[in-house]
Amino acid sequence: MPERVSEYRRIAVLGGVYANAEALAAVLADARRRNAEAVFCLGDLGGFGPDPAGVLPLLRAHDVRVVRGNYDDAIATGATDCNCGYTDPRDNHYARLSYAYTVAHTPAADRAWLATLPAQRRVQLGSHRILMCHGSPRRINEFLWESTTPDGLLRRLLADYSADVLLCTHTGLKWHRALDDGIAHAVNVGAVGRPENDGTPRVWYALLGAEPDVRVQFVPVTYDHESVARAIEAEGLPREFAETLRSGWWTTCLENLPAKERARGRF
Amino acid sequence: MRAMSVVDAPTPRAPFVALSTLWLVLTGTLCNLRCTHCLNTSGPDAPWLPPLDGAVARRAIAEAAALGVREIYFTGGEPFLHREILPLLETSLAIAATTVLTNGTVLTDATADALAALARASRYSLEIRVSLDAPDAETNDRVRGAGTWRRAVRAIRALDARGLLPIVTATEIDGAPDAYDRFRALLSGLGIARPRVKILPVFPVGRAAGDSAARLSDADLEGFDRTALQCADTRAVAAGGVYACPILAGLPGARLSDGDLTAARRPAALYHAACLTCHRTGATCRNA
Ligand SMILES: [Fe+2]
Repeated sequence: MPERVSEYRRIAVLGGVYANAEALAAVLADARRRNAEAVFCLGDLGGFGPDPAGVLPLLRAHDVRVVRGNYDDAIATGATDCNCGYTDPRDNHYARLSYAYTVAHTPAADRAWLATLPAQRRVQLGSHRILMCHGSPRRINEFLWESTTPDGLLRRLLADYSADVLLCTHTGLKWHRALDDGIAHAVNVGAVGRPENDGTPRVWYALLGAEPDVRVQFVPVTYDHESVARAIEAEGLPREFAETLRSGWWTTCLENLPAKERARGRF
Repeated sequence: MRAMSVVDAPTPRAPFVALSTLWLVLTGTLCNLRCTHCLNTSGPDAPWLPPLDGAVARRAIAEAAALGVREIYFTGGEPFLHREILPLLETSLAIAATTVLTNGTVLTDATADALAALARASRYSLEIRVSLDAPDAETNDRVRGAGTWRRAVRAIRALDARGLLPIVTATEIDGAPDAYDRFRALLSGLGIARPRVKILPVFPVGRAAGDSAARLSDADLEGFDRTALQCADTRAVAAGGVYACPILAGLPGARLSDGDLTAARRPAALYHAACLTCHRTGATCRNA
């Protein structure tokens, strides 16, 4: 029997909440103002930010459909660390701190709920088959950066997974590529919990519409980042994280960035 | 004499998932240096593994593109000794992010300029990995040869000055637990704003081969996700064939086809002592 999928004309898609409930609230309000019929989250609810417990109530209140991220996987299964795979000891130190913090501040009921999240979701956007995943459809923690994701790989993934549009997150940097005269698309929706290493504190999510061709629009959102930066400091999380929220420059966990993406940042 | 039980144990295999990473052993084992730990015993003498013909490399790149490859790596030997490296990089960068592993000692300013132009012209990242084995010249040169530290550091500066953000790639040969931080300090000291460091284990193969008969067994791999091994999604093209990974390229036991990547999409034997290192350390030869 074919899988039943919901059909939409206009959806909002976000990823990488990273325990930044303040930013998530601003994004959800923005998506509502722009008349998104449904909101989807591609995972990584915890890590980095100061408010893991504040995320799930917001997602529930706005009926957000969630895909599981690698971080959610780690929290749900009680993994000993986030499996972020850093080799820089400094990055590992920061990753351990924020993982322990997220574990300690995620209610048990939330953890059980994380375990129920699907690794992928499919919806219909007009006549287009949309596939949502966290990293890539073949691996939850594969980084699809703009400068390391070839057209040929995207075509193969779309064919292998029977989709016209692939949506992912996990890297924290947004990008959109139309393939084959706009018949197929790949979109990394970026992250709402952390700015995108561009020197401004704003965060981004994606609006997708069927008009009837696929239209992708990235939406910047400002929020009270100063209050979140203060909360990070008050909670004893690394000051570098607070600095990132204020300045918009990534200060840690840079080692996975490919050359082109790294060159755009300050550090 | 090896223990019979070791020899007789069935060789475990890694499944093949997809061709994600293509390695081209561009210069074979031809190199201007003769590092003490070189994993394929490269050097200036007649190479035991000959350089790749440019046409063979181009065919491999095209075939890999059709198979949905994610990243391409050029290695050797010293890839900048190949006379076609720049046009081959251009071909590769047209279809995927491409990385060159170099010792940095033969990189001229003109080549650095050409690399910067190639990087600008491509939508995909060009990565240059420059090898060092210690942050200080004396220790490094004991492994890599006299004067190599100074020349590699010069290349690192030349690449950085052109916005190429080289990745300094080191082995754990000096055994210092703070190697990562010391390399980063070296780069920061050179005025490099975005220091990038990758540390790899020393693999027991080539000049660093030991005499241990220990091999991976199926029992070692129980409960382990074999698709996480490099040889589940990596293939290396060298003169004379396609091999399971760049570490074992050229060795008969790792040979999977006579040059056809499609035919090499089959399970690889985890037969070598280096497979043990790969499994134990979770190391990847990729950039990240
Ligand atoms: Fe992730």
